[in-house]
Amino acid sequence: MTPSDAGRPRPPAGAPLLARLDRRLGRLEDALNLVAAAAIFGVMAFGVAQILSRTVSGLVHGLWPAIPPIAIYGYIDYVQFVAILYAILGIAYCQRLGGHIRMEIVLTTLRGRLLWLLETGATVLAVAVTVMLIAGTWDNFHNAWARGDSSMDIRLPQWPSKLVVPLVLAVLLARLLLQLWGYARLLADPAREAVAVPLPETAREAARREIEEAVGKVEASARGERG
Amino acid sequence: MDPLTIGVAGGAALVLLAVAGVRIAYAAALVGTIGLMLLMGGVYPAIVAAGTLPYAKGTSYELSVLPMFILIGYLAYYAGMTRTSFEAAKRWFGWLPGGLAIGTIFAVAAFSAVSGASTAAAAVFARVAIPEMLRARYDRRLAAGVVAAGSTLDSLIPPSALLVIYGIVVEQSIGDLLVAGFVPGIISALVYCVIVVIRCKLDPDMGRPITGFSWKERFESLPPTAPIWIVIVLIFTSMLFGWATPTEAGALGAFSTLVFAWRHGMTWPQFRGAMLDAAKLTVMIFTIIWGVLIFVRFLGFANLPRSFAGWIEGLAVHPLLVLLAIYAIYLVLGCFMDAIGMMLLTLPIFFPVIESLGYDPIWFGIIVVKLAGIGLLTPPVGLCAFVVNGVRPDIPLGDVFRGIWPFLLADVVTVALLTAFPELVTFVVDLRVR
Repeated sequence: MTPSDAGRPRPPAGAPLLARLDRRLGRLEDALNLVAAAAIFGVMAFGVAQILSRTVSGLVHGLWPAIPPIAIYGYIDYVQFVAILYAILGIAYCQRLGGHIRMEIVLTTLRGRLLWLLETGATVLAVAVTVMLIAGTWDNFHNAWARGDSSMDIRLPQWPSKLVVPLVLAVLLARLLLQLWGYARLLADPAREAVAVPLPETAREAARREIEEAVGKVEASARGERG
Repeated sequence: MDPLTIGVAGGAALVLLAVAGVRIAYAAALVGTIGLMLLMGGVYPAIVAAGTLPYAKGTSYELSVLPMFILIGYLAYYAGMTRTSFEAAKRWFGWLPGGLAIGTIFAVAAFSAVSGASTAAAAVFARVAIPEMLRARYDRRLAAGVVAAGSTLDSLIPPSALLVIYGIVVEQSIGDLLVAGFVPGIISALVYCVIVVIRCKLDPDMGRPITGFSWKERFESLPPTAPIWIVIVLIFTSMLFGWATPTEAGALGAFSTLVFAWRHGMTWPQFRGAMLDAAKLTVMIFTIIWGVLIFVRFLGFANLPRSFAGWIEGLAVHPLLVLLAIYAIYLVLGCFMDAIGMMLLTLPIFFPVIESLGYDPIWFGIIVVKLAGIGLLTPPVGLCAFVVNGVRPDIPLGDVFRGIWPFLLADVVTVALLTAFPELVTFVVDLRVR
């Protein structure tokens, strides 16, 4: 099982509306993370193109000085324009999978209502900071729009990439609100099955996940080679 | 309340929230924003100040090296680099006392040059190397310990995400840090080897030499490891001679790993999975970076880092004592915290102290990352030990930790060496073509 599979919303388990919303939002998050992955691939391909064009044209220039060396004009501006996609689009996807770093040493010792109380409290704080950041990043976008901010070399407008930030944080807010709902229903009745929430992981569980991911990949690769 | 008190209270609040299980990015951003509200005298200016950071850091060209390095790590599994590196290391170094264990150290070190995660290296080599060591009647504690310890070499040997994160937080050259990581990584591996040789010399039953490989067999084992060497040479020479930026070198490294993985039979779903996982890890790191930098901005307003550094200077104790105290704090924190979280939370306070005491910032980065690697081995949450035990449940966790102790001693020796002779770290940086 890959991490991307691991976080797929499970079938409804006592909270059909929450599970349905979880699945729908999950599809949007998957799509956004896919775009982030495509952006990483794009920056990789662009970097290779930049090195190749510079190296090859440098060699040609060495042989025929009349031909000037070329590099992709505005390379850094383009990378920065695309970078915001991989830097933030997957933030809600990562939250759904419980991927953002935290100390779990206390949480993993807790059970029942106390655990859900801490999880609920932590999610309330995450909601609060996300709301503040949506306001702050919207302001950042609005200033860029009003001033017509642009990049250094090729004058790419900055407002589109600045607009991405509050929009994606709004998706994160939706994810956090679903998780808040999920934890609150467990706080109300700890006997319920967890829906739409990531659970704390002990060191042993984290190790098991790491093993499944790494060894699974190596073995899949070996099978592919034999097959 | 004066700014300094607000800063100290903010630091305490962040620690409390982190221990209570609030995700560090959110906890740092929240405390930072509230702190800025108090210090800037209003909600709006604080929110505006915090709101610029996600974009500013998200679009930083320097940080664009991170997804490239992460991608290399995820693609490396499909390029068949684990078994080939172990096979070559076994044939070349097996004749030494504890030869298979030494082969494991060099194989993990080589794999580290294309891998991004110590825990993943531990999982893979526990699967590849431990069975072979046990078949050769090696001591199971040695077998488990060498895999767990060897996997932490990953944090020093480029491509190292931890070094990039250090560089961003303390505003040092990423290229200098990456170049500086190579030699300490190799020294670390050599000190591990010395420990293995000494133990196996003293007690030959612990791990006997593996002999019988001809020179022909040794040289035949090298070409399959070419993908690793190509990535190493690409990244190291680009940093050293300046023919590419870290991002460009990372892009070329990722592209060549992708080509090798494809030639090795990587399928489309595997490629898609690697890209999605790389995107997830990338956003996680970016989120915690800008979250913590909001907190750092607040600390700056509170003037806490400078005041703390001034206070330490005022104590008039020997700088080495301060340094050792910082080492001790990292060793203790490493027992409980993830390496990235630990670095991001402590560096804003410790780094100005280190600078004011006159230590080299690049050298300190290598030390911090080495100490963070030790945290992956120490109980109660030494994740690499748990990973080895998870792959080999027949080796009890207690035995894995007992097998690790001699390597922790080796790490102490390495840190002592690097502290006594900082030139071991900095001389390569001085060779860089600017």
